[in-house]
Amino acid sequence: MEGLIATGLIGISLGSQYALLALGFTLIFGILGVVNFAHGGFYVMGGYVAYFCAAIIGLPYPLAVLVAVASTAALGWLFEVFILERVINDHQATLMVTMGFYLVIATAILVIFGAESPQFDFPLQGVWRAGAIYIPYANMVVLGVCLAAIVGVYWLVYRTNVGRSMRAMAEDRPVASALGMRTKMLFPFAFSLATGLAGLTGALVTPILALAPHVGDPVLAFSFLTVILGGLGSVSGATLAAFLVGLIEAYAAVYFGGSKGALILFVLVLVILVLRPQGLLGKEARRA
Amino acid sequence: MKELPASERAPFFGTYEKVTLGLLLLAFAVPFLTRNPQILSQSNLILIAATAALGVYIMLRMDLMSFAVPAFMAVGGYTVAMLGIRSGVTDVFALAAAAFLVSALCAVPLGWMILRLKGVYFVLVTFVLTEICQLLLFEAGPLTGGSNGLVGMPSVTVFGYEMYDNSHVLMITAGLAFVGFLIAAVLTRALRYEFAAIEKNDVLAESLGLACWKYKALAFSVAAGVSGLAGFALVNMLLTAHPTSFSPLSSVNYITYAIVGGKGSILGTLIGAAILVSATEFFALRGELSPGLYGLLIIVMTLVAPGGIMGLAENFFRRFGKRDSKALETKVAVQSGSGHS
Repeated sequence: MEGLIATGLIGISLGSQYALLALGFTLIFGILGVVNFAHGGFYVMGGYVAYFCAAIIGLPYPLAVLVAVASTAALGWLFEVFILERVINDHQATLMVTMGFYLVIATAILVIFGAESPQFDFPLQGVWRAGAIYIPYANMVVLGVCLAAIVGVYWLVYRTNVGRSMRAMAEDRPVASALGMRTKMLFPFAFSLATGLAGLTGALVTPILALAPHVGDPVLAFSFLTVILGGLGSVSGATLAAFLVGLIEAYAAVYFGGSKGALILFVLVLVILVLRPQGLLGKEARRA
Repeated sequence: MKELPASERAPFFGTYEKVTLGLLLLAFAVPFLTRNPQILSQSNLILIAATAALGVYIMLRMDLMSFAVPAFMAVGGYTVAMLGIRSGVTDVFALAAAAFLVSALCAVPLGWMILRLKGVYFVLVTFVLTEICQLLLFEAGPLTGGSNGLVGMPSVTVFGYEMYDNSHVLMITAGLAFVGFLIAAVLTRALRYEFAAIEKNDVLAESLGLACWKYKALAFSVAAGVSGLAGFALVNMLLTAHPTSFSPLSSVNYITYAIVGGKGSILGTLIGAAILVSATEFFALRGELSPGLYGLLIIVMTLVAPGGIMGLAENFFRRFGKRDSKALETKVAVQSGSGHS
């Protein structure tokens, strides 16, 4: 029983990380109609910027996380304005430039920091225990920040005018722009918000899991899984699916072991795509 | 439909198909011209990459971007490796037929499941498919050798003659590439109107009486079969079948070859593979900078040449080849060539 609960907690904590990544991914798809292949790159970059600030410059860890968020958001903004914006209506071209940009980020990190994974530990050590259930403090902090960020994104998307304009853009771009929503401002904003979230996840999670130039690859695959499961472009679907993915992964890893968990997830997603292409909570399939 | 007289009908193969197949025939001459192992292995890599990129090219005819190429390459490659290592089959014709047919047959039920998806959904599901394939290769140890792969592929034979050294391997690869390109060219030319209708607007095509699923399913299995041939060529070159040869991220490369080369014609796929594989080799001199330079190249090419290298070349010839023709015509042609970004 304790095992079940402990595994569930791991799953929820994993799920909250996936939710942050998937929220960004789904925002970009919903609003810009772009599949961001560079998402994993921003995650890795967030991790390395936080590492650089905390371990090399010596800033306090929370500040380092903020710097990581700001820098990934800024890079996302620049990438959107100067590169993505030029090909925004051609979905093949957007795939190509985001894939190319992922290679550029990964290489830049490799060249600057080297191939070995650096020593980057979460500043808060120790474990909270109740009976047979152990939870590292680090995981609790990450879970808390992730949940707060999720609530923040929800508040932004559903309670503010910027969020309403963004949802209007996602719903019907021509009509929304005819009604005066400014694509020139909303697109870069949405993109940098999403990359900032990826940077935040990277800064929080890499000290616990691992930091190396290639850790972005699986992030992309899991973001894909989550948003397909939840429905492309659906914010609530992505959140729900992220926790589902986290729980399945945790239980499968504990009870089946190896890469069986991933295999189960991928097959589940394939089945869902075939039976319900719009995802669990998605509405109509968007043509992009 | 009224048949046009033979003199007015467009020839079955256009110029691009003829040039492409001609270039591939030239590849057979490479082993006779040089023994330089560098050139031989380079040509080998280019031909394998081009054959694999054909899978992407065929699906792009219908505006579907497929990430499934490595999965079907793996099916073809592992089929050949199992036949070669476990059953001792080395005849190149039998192996090629097996690689093509097994991959094409695998694609039939998969196509039934996923071909109803379009646009980004198709992109995502084919990506997921390749991930599943990669995991299966590692998990199905007894069949695929797991993380060790299948080692010790015997050299293939042509009419009983053993093909063992570098130049022989290149001959086999060139043969497989030629067959792959021939199949793809015949398919895309024979069904060019059907594919064009599906690419422009499949709902409209369907409502006008075109059974879209039939053409999509056919194209998907042929694309899978051709990828299988590329898998055979790769396994034959490396003499092992290993999961890392068919990594999900390698699908990005094949898509890049087809699109950067120019998705409008089959020649673009060959040119794209030739230039980008050479570029990779050239960048490799820069060591760890190599993937970044490659990424930069993709971004720049996408921004400056929406029609790919072939699009650039066509514009160039239109502008400078017909200096004497009306200026207006040139202007229109240039605009329509580069204005749809």
